[in-house]
Amino acid sequence: MKLKKSTLTIFAIVCGLLMIAPIYFLVVGAFKTPDTVFDLSLHLSNFTFDNIKQVFSETNIVRAIVNSLIVSVTVTVVAMLIHAMAGYALARLNFPGKTFTFGWIISTLMVPFSVIMIPLYMVVQNLGMANSYLGLIVPMIFNAYGIFLFRQFYLEFPKELEEAAYVEGLSIAGTFFRLVLPLSKPIIVPLTIGFFTANWNNYLWPMIINQKEELNVVQVALANIVGGGYETEWSVMLAAALISAIPTFILFFIVQRHLVEGVKTTGIK
Amino acid sequence: MKLWKKLMTIGFVLTLIVMAGCSSDSDGESGDTVTLTFSDFHSEADQEFFEGLVDEYNKVQDEVKIEYTTTGNLTDYSNTKLPVAFANNEGPDIFMTSPGDFQKYADAGVLADLSPYFKDGVKEDFLPSALEAVTVDDKILALPFELELLGLYYNKTMFEEANLEVPKTWDELLAAAKELTTDEVAGIALPTDKGAYLNFIWYPFLWQNGGSVLNEDGTKSTFNTPEVAEALDIWGSFFQEGAAPSKLQIDPTDIGNLGGGTAAMQIVGTWAIPMLENEYADGDFGLAPIPIPEGGKPATAAGGWKFAVNANSEHVKEAAEFVMWAVGDDKERPLKYVTETKFAYAPRQSVVEEGEEFYDKGLRKVFTEEIYDSAIPEPKFGAEVVDAVGEALQNVMFGGMSGKEAAKIADEKIQSILDSKK
Amino acid sequence: MKRMKKNRRKRNEVVTAYAFLLPNLVGLTVFVFFPMIYAFYVSLHDWNALSPKVFIGFDNYIEMASDKRWWASVGRTFLFTLIYVPALYCLSLFFAVILNNLKQKYQSIARTMFLLPFAITSVISAVIWMFLYDPRNGVLNQFLSSLGFDKLEFLGSTNQALVSIVAVILWINIGYNMIIFMASIKEIPKDYYEAAKIDGASAWRAFRSITFPLLRGTSTFILIVTMIASFTVFDQIMVMTSGGPASSTEVSVLYIYKQAFEFLNMGYASALAVILFLIIFILSLAQLRLYTKKG
Repeated sequence: MKLKKSTLTIFAIVCGLLMIAPIYFLVVGAFKTPDTVFDLSLHLSNFTFDNIKQVFSETNIVRAIVNSLIVSVTVTVVAMLIHAMAGYALARLNFPGKTFTFGWIISTLMVPFSVIMIPLYMVVQNLGMANSYLGLIVPMIFNAYGIFLFRQFYLEFPKELEEAAYVEGLSIAGTFFRLVLPLSKPIIVPLTIGFFTANWNNYLWPMIINQKEELNVVQVALANIVGGGYETEWSVMLAAALISAIPTFILFFIVQRHLVEGVKTTGIK
Repeated sequence: MKLWKKLMTIGFVLTLIVMAGCSSDSDGESGDTVTLTFSDFHSEADQEFFEGLVDEYNKVQDEVKIEYTTTGNLTDYSNTKLPVAFANNEGPDIFMTSPGDFQKYADAGVLADLSPYFKDGVKEDFLPSALEAVTVDDKILALPFELELLGLYYNKTMFEEANLEVPKTWDELLAAAKELTTDEVAGIALPTDKGAYLNFIWYPFLWQNGGSVLNEDGTKSTFNTPEVAEALDIWGSFFQEGAAPSKLQIDPTDIGNLGGGTAAMQIVGTWAIPMLENEYADGDFGLAPIPIPEGGKPATAAGGWKFAVNANSEHVKEAAEFVMWAVGDDKERPLKYVTETKFAYAPRQSVVEEGEEFYDKGLRKVFTEEIYDSAIPEPKFGAEVVDAVGEALQNVMFGGMSGKEAAKIADEKIQSILDSKK
Repeated sequence: MKRMKKNRRKRNEVVTAYAFLLPNLVGLTVFVFFPMIYAFYVSLHDWNALSPKVFIGFDNYIEMASDKRWWASVGRTFLFTLIYVPALYCLSLFFAVILNNLKQKYQSIARTMFLLPFAITSVISAVIWMFLYDPRNGVLNQFLSSLGFDKLEFLGSTNQALVSIVAVILWINIGYNMIIFMASIKEIPKDYYEAAKIDGASAWRAFRSITFPLLRGTSTFILIVTMIASFTVFDQIMVMTSGGPASSTEVSVLYIYKQAFEFLNMGYASALAVILFLIIFILSLAQLRLYTKKG
């Protein structure tokens, strides 16, 4: 039995290494001179910080990172709260029109973004949110994915806990906020990763809705450095991609430590 | 529990920041100044040039204030940003258009007629063919400011080592490409993906062989001819015989394919010269006109972006005046762009003459002396026609079709597109 | 007395449910549902986005019936889904189970490694893979020829391009779906397995009779969401092949995008999107039904 576990460990780590192998290209390429960027070896003589420096000198990347943080964190936090509420209502509470509401919410997942881009612009423009943080944030909060996953989680959530709370005289809302929500960490963690990453990497929507340079998010700012013209500076592009991925990497390391134990195993005791 | 509380606090603080950020948002409209928006897709040196242009214009007069924004990717700019903005009546007052999408903007009537705003003698100064390419019903709907020509760039060292002459005919070109192909080096780098650029690089082959996509007045397809079929076949044979790679690592517009040593030849435009001089100065590169078929006549395509003014703008006159000031007035500004910022030809005779000595420098001389006279402006077909031509090319490149079959299918498609537009 | 309390409780439940749903319903209506309805409205028009719309009834839908290129793209989308969805499902579940059996320290390392590709923007991952896939100098071909195999064309071949793209999208998404499975596996009480062990059940048997059935809810979620995502896949294909070579990777959303933004046939593109929506809707409904019926 012991041996088997170590075989599994080795297998998993080897697969993991294969998964990150393509990223090696990104990391190494970001520190190479433009003419050696396609050479995958690690010659120290070709090592340079110029690409990184160029990214920092050609655009106000710090400002763009701050903007992206504001947008992604706000969207994620607000989305977690209201999606959890909706998911809980759909999983646990009985009310007229439940099945229809659920079906309707799921159906909003099924439209390709490129199709609703024009009317969405129209809505946001008419609400006076274009060229502001609100225009970047508010439309991105509403997404059936989170509601769907929270509902799934609460369907399997142990009922006994809530019943105990009702006996103690807590209202439904009180039970949810004081008891259920804090125990929802196992699902909040993956969803935080998903929402933050999706919004951090969002490019199309911010590009369309915002014209103000001071509100540029990371992806737009980086596209402005490497895009345009007829030549692509691969080394700079990879450096830009690496910089843009680092905050997400950091988030992964921070939050996924919390992805350890389930509700049933910790909550009941 | 703790994590959740932390997140809530962060969220609350951020919401406050956002609210604060929004309340300070005010419109900068003041006094009698007219504010115009100018949006394009340039980056780096080009972006600096246009920024400089706008700054200068904002300084030299005080009736108009121009706000410049750039989207750093030209596909996103012309296929997403502009259509979404126009669809919501939020189109910029001044923007840029290429031959690839000129027709759709012209058809929709969003391009303002610029002819009333030419200063005396300037209209005559423009190359007739360049203005013709932007004229619909005697209205000049855009203003060209650069002409980018195509040529065959090659690696001299590789040619010498293989003991090859620079190809002058299609057959020689194909033979040389095959000869120079090795495991590491592609004989010739050509665009592989469907799109306006693929057609742009192919048009010289079509024209050299006497073929055309549409008839003179653009009402009938002329695609189902032996001339077109032959031009498709030669193009297809580069791919079918493995002399041109089926996929490129670097963009086909980027001279890095040749410069980096992964291709022995590449058909690219004038824009490649500064890049070759700066980034790949160590290599020994040559430039020649695109080879022609037996008995054909030399031809190359001339592309380039054009200034356009939004016909629905409240300030067409002011916008048009800026455009004229920028590239249709003195010679210094347009010349600076096509010589210092990048390398292209100006579509105005006086500007080309002004920059005469510059146009003889290095490889530029080949363009000026051997290629310039054979230039034909990139045609302004609608996007669906462009797509049908692209489909024909893809079919000979990857679909295993003969030029004749591909031409026939595309011909029917193009004709039905033309018929449905009537 | 007791009944009154129960009734009040029931009323309270309904009120709370609506209050909990309200922010989402308002937001989804304004920012997703209204744009959807608008797209349907546009689909009844001839509209090039630049000039006023012309009402043409259901002409766009009639035109679509004979649009071979559209139906070919729908076929390709189905093919893509049939490869991608089962592959993603099996691989992420497989690795979730494997990783779940590791010691905490190794589990955390492996999980991070699987998740990292998810952090990179889809455009950049597409670019990285274009280099790996390069027919001449790409790493994969160098590897293949060092093993004595023939080089492959990957994205440059009409047969291999679609599968090559599937592989990239799998690479991006396996880690994320894996952690969703893992979160769900953690909810399965450990004593179930201990009981099975005492009964002498093999690991495979334990998986089949405990893990797999208890994951049915999560599985349905992942299958539906992945299917929807694969029917609306766009970014990576646009960057890697823009539908080529010779249209072999032109999936439905790519064709819709071309009609909308390259040809500016907004009305027609919206009609295509409405039909695609109906296809996805029916398939999702069928999956949900299948799930509730069994349960």
